[in-house]
Amino acid sequence: MGELNKNNINELVAIAQNPKESVAKAINDTGKKAVGCFPIYTPDEAIYALGLLPVGMWGGPVKGNLADKYLQTFCCSIMKANTEQALLGDYDLLSAVLVTSFCDTLKCIIEDWKVAVPYLHIVPIVYPQNRKTPSGRAYLKAEIERVSAQLEQVVGRKPYTEADLSAAVDLYDEYRAASQDFVKAVSEKPGLLTASERHNVIKAAYFMDKADYTPKLKAITEEIKKADAPDAKNLTKVVVSGIINEPDGLLDIFDETGFTIVGDDLAQETRQFRTIAPKVGTGIERMVERIALQDGCAFLYDDKKLRGQMIIDLVKKTGADAVFFNQLKFCDPEEFDWPIIKKELEAAKIPTLYIETEQQMDSFEQTRTRLQAFAEII
Amino acid sequence: MTEKYYLGIDIGSSSSKAVIIDGDAKIVGEKIINLGTGSRGPAEVILGAFEQAGITEVSKTVATGYGRIQFKDADKQMTEISCHAKGVKHLVPTAQTVIDIGGQDAKVIRIAPDGKVDNFVMNDKCAAGTGRFLEVMARVLDVKISELSDLAEKGQSGVTISSTCTVFAESETISQLSGGSKIEDIALGSHKSIAEKIVGLAGRVGLVDDIVMSGGVALNASVVKAVEEATGHKIIRVPDPQGAGALGAALYARDLDK
Repeated sequence: MGELNKNNINELVAIAQNPKESVAKAINDTGKKAVGCFPIYTPDEAIYALGLLPVGMWGGPVKGNLADKYLQTFCCSIMKANTEQALLGDYDLLSAVLVTSFCDTLKCIIEDWKVAVPYLHIVPIVYPQNRKTPSGRAYLKAEIERVSAQLEQVVGRKPYTEADLSAAVDLYDEYRAASQDFVKAVSEKPGLLTASERHNVIKAAYFMDKADYTPKLKAITEEIKKADAPDAKNLTKVVVSGIINEPDGLLDIFDETGFTIVGDDLAQETRQFRTIAPKVGTGIERMVERIALQDGCAFLYDDKKLRGQMIIDLVKKTGADAVFFNQLKFCDPEEFDWPIIKKELEAAKIPTLYIETEQQMDSFEQTRTRLQAFAEII
Repeated sequence: MTEKYYLGIDIGSSSSKAVIIDGDAKIVGEKIINLGTGSRGPAEVILGAFEQAGITEVSKTVATGYGRIQFKDADKQMTEISCHAKGVKHLVPTAQTVIDIGGQDAKVIRIAPDGKVDNFVMNDKCAAGTGRFLEVMARVLDVKISELSDLAEKGQSGVTISSTCTVFAESETISQLSGGSKIEDIALGSHKSIAEKIVGLAGRVGLVDDIVMSGGVALNASVVKAVEEATGHKIIRVPDPQGAGALGAALYARDLDK
């Protein structure tokens, strides 16, 4: 036991906070071409098996008005940021971009981007809503194969072999397991990492080759396990839900007001790695199975409405005192989930704070008041 | 034994309020100035409250309001949500809901039977449904903000102001004026617009009687009436709605000494 050395953490934080430079470095270091991947889910293993580098595209703090030509004011800030960055030329280093269709904005943006940034190779992918049925599974398998074939053409790659794909799935499952270990280790030592450090360590995965990221993450987890637990008696442990919990200015307020994040249900964070498929079948079958098993996500049809109970279970598992629901402004799928979750959290008598944020916000006074008032209540 | 005094200062976006209480929670000094954070308002209200109380020092100070973080002379800073709830509960012990509309925030606060804040909801960045909205309306109608209430009382039906954004509502109001609508009806319409926003906010936490309105906008009797009509609940208005937050802060300052 001893004081936590944050050198490895700081390295990943810096990578997450400088995405363009980090991706350029990853391209240079690996010699791979990069493929941008829109939220929420993309077949990263297939992209990786083609010898390419999947890169997350989850917006950013960029401000401007170039995207206004294509998107209305009351629109998801991730989509606005992605479009703004595309028009600024920030994605020049990407050899293709996979655009998903999980919400109405995404469905429309595919065509917008074909017009707005014709130099980028846009590859659409449509995940099935009925992903647990045999036909849903067959459809997703065919869709991954179609997208892979399109990427082969666009980027000039030979098809992957079954060995390539299985190895990629193994690598990604290793990354997911390591990420699960990391969030568990953080939750067991509340207050050891700041909210920003926890978030950015997880986020760095989007801008690195998983073969390079996973060992670094494992090392950090081991360091956390060996470090002294700080005095957390004055801290309030919270679980965060929503799509993303950004920007960093918001995360700083968590620390300032005495909240420590012990778990999350965020689409950008834990939802990416909490489901690992059984090691049965071919690589593509494992990829399909993982999506079929993924529950509690606003972007995947869930007839049993499991998300609320999953959050309650996470609260119990982590010993959290409260839940933050961070509603990214104008995100319909998340807004549709909220009333159901709210009802269930209230029934479970779990204090909950609902906050609305934008990635581009730079004034946090109202948010600070909300968080501080919530701290004063509980 | 020397009497102890406690200062609560509420530094809002458009006004500053200071209240000094004694050990029995009796108000001995109070000052309100319509100058908010970043101005000379905070210093002046403290000076004014001290002069009224006839004292030169207090035992503890709690700061609240938008400018609480920047105020460095407090023993503690607390949100206006907790302070308004505390102040209102002290003035109206039966209160279970507080509707606090200030310069740029509107909040609905639910108070648990034990006096603690149970839940709250506040408006977002948008100024619709706040005092700032009334300031804009007063400017467009070319009247003082203090005249809006009496003006609206003369309104017959109230012009519908449908925009959810204050800036758009201003344009809408100018169009109404241009179209020949009476300023009395526009004033009444603007108050109904605020009331509708409150109904929307209250829907998230619920309204439980007794309901008390605090904050500067509660000085406008026409807004209070509009909120009563929109919610279907009787609204109690504390005598000094602007000072409720500072009073709550002073009460919290007194608690620090316990």
